[in-house]
Amino acid sequence: MKIEIATVMENKLIASNLWKMKMTAPDVAEQYKGAGQFIQILVQSSWESPLRRPMSIAAVDGDEIAIIYKVFGRMTQILTELKAGTALDILGPLGNTFRWDDNEFTAVLVGGGVGLAPVLNMYGECTAAGQEAVLVLGARTSVEHFIDHKPQNNVFLATDDGTTGIAGTVIPAIVKSLENTSKPEILACGPEPMLKAVQEFAAAHQIPAQISVESYMGCGVGICQGCVVKRVNGNVAEHSYHEKYSLVCIDGPVYQSKDVIIG
Amino acid sequence: MADLRIKIGSVDFKNPIFVASGTYGYGTEVSELADITVLGAIVTKSVTRYPREGNPPPRIVETPSGMLNSIGLANIGVEAYIKKMIPLYEELKTPIIMNIAGSTDDEYCEVLELTELVSSNIVGYEINISCPNVNAGGMEFGVDCDLTEQLTTRLRKLTDRLLIMKLSPNVTDIAAIGVAAEKGGADALSAINTLVGMSINTTNKKSNIHYGYGGLSGPAIKPVGLACVHKIYQAVDIPLIGIGGITSADDVLEYVLAGAAAVEVGTANYRDPNIGTSIIVELDTLLDQNDIGSVPEFVGKVELGS
Repeated sequence: MKIEIATVMENKLIASNLWKMKMTAPDVAEQYKGAGQFIQILVQSSWESPLRRPMSIAAVDGDEIAIIYKVFGRMTQILTELKAGTALDILGPLGNTFRWDDNEFTAVLVGGGVGLAPVLNMYGECTAAGQEAVLVLGARTSVEHFIDHKPQNNVFLATDDGTTGIAGTVIPAIVKSLENTSKPEILACGPEPMLKAVQEFAAAHQIPAQISVESYMGCGVGICQGCVVKRVNGNVAEHSYHEKYSLVCIDGPVYQSKDVIIG
Repeated sequence: MADLRIKIGSVDFKNPIFVASGTYGYGTEVSELADITVLGAIVTKSVTRYPREGNPPPRIVETPSGMLNSIGLANIGVEAYIKKMIPLYEELKTPIIMNIAGSTDDEYCEVLELTELVSSNIVGYEINISCPNVNAGGMEFGVDCDLTEQLTTRLRKLTDRLLIMKLSPNVTDIAAIGVAAEKGGADALSAINTLVGMSINTTNKKSNIHYGYGGLSGPAIKPVGLACVHKIYQAVDIPLIGIGGITSADDVLEYVLAGAAAVEVGTANYRDPNIGTSIIVELDTLLDQNDIGSVPEFVGKVELGS
């Protein structure tokens, strides 16, 4: 991990309220290990907002990294205003990655909302490596999507209101995507309700699943102990540390779905 | 070049910039990001008698110019600290001050005694009698003069190392607590710990901290920290370590003028673990620019009136 002054190369709206930013960050790009890893962005230098903001890496290409972000607060609003050429203080790469141990499976990549970045990143890495992969993206309505529903190409979109793709949450779309899939493994990132639904679905159908967990974060490097997720762990001793709670920033953000309790 | 060296009790420090407990882990986690060897001292995360998981999430939230935390003293416990951390400190050039928390007199004493039993290059202990985030976080000591004095007296008998009592601002009269700790034999006082605060999400009506209240830190509390240090400075003769919202050398100088002999940088480490080092460089320049030869000559020299 490094603190690096990156340079914004491109920053544009790609769907309703959804932005993609590319920046050159040679040090972070060099240390990058894979989809799932994130950076901590110092959006502005004023101490009015002391903390960095965690953003998952959406792609790495040479010296360049990309993020995809949703605007939901003042800091993400400020981020949309950064023009090409702006210097941006980032810390990364942080956290672990999605993993596959062998190629004898199909990666079912499920993403929604703020969780699109690592999933799209993984899709890119699977495609580049010749790994079988299907993409399932969820949104509330069609304008939040930025690619087309193409089941023939293994790209399945879901919308809550049915305006594009398969109506409903990502679950019916996952079901559809599994029709012609052998040995699926779900790799998911998204809002809490989506992750919970994916966890339940994966458990009920005995499909292995990895989930990338979102968490409010302080430092991103394990010193503030702020970003915990509860582990599924029946045998915690009376006095323990790090058995009941895991630190998302250094143990995660990617977990085996069966190992953690969301929300 | 200004002379940045300071002395607290019988311990010499190469500069007055320490990093605060809970904001730097056990000292070694961020060595990839920061040159920790130049720091005046590292105050390690509160250690209790037994390991603690800490509080359920959400544990932190950003607030205007600050943040709330309710970590709940998550820590590895004194036995693991002795086994895993103390050996690492042998190699470290930075002085380590061990922060201790407890829920009873006996617990504080036991942690300190166990640590004293082993050979270590820890230079001192900072006693957390002011954690607002657990029912038994020592806060009841920190709000009561008699309990503070009793605990300090007991701990004093157990060690010749530097004994620093860390005071809470969540009290009626922080100077009185400081006087009690001085009577008990403390070598120094550090102030302030976090202020009790709350943050609420109006969309879902939920508290942004699991247990409702958290400890407020960051630049938002700097004026409170300065006032507390200034009040304690006038009431005691032992050195003070100023804490609360420090992000620059100018902040350091403010604390020194208010009465601090040294400072601890806290929340700012979450943004940049190397900020302590940057402040040391900046402080050197700032002292030179103001023709200040050394830090001690300016301690408590704030002028009141117009």
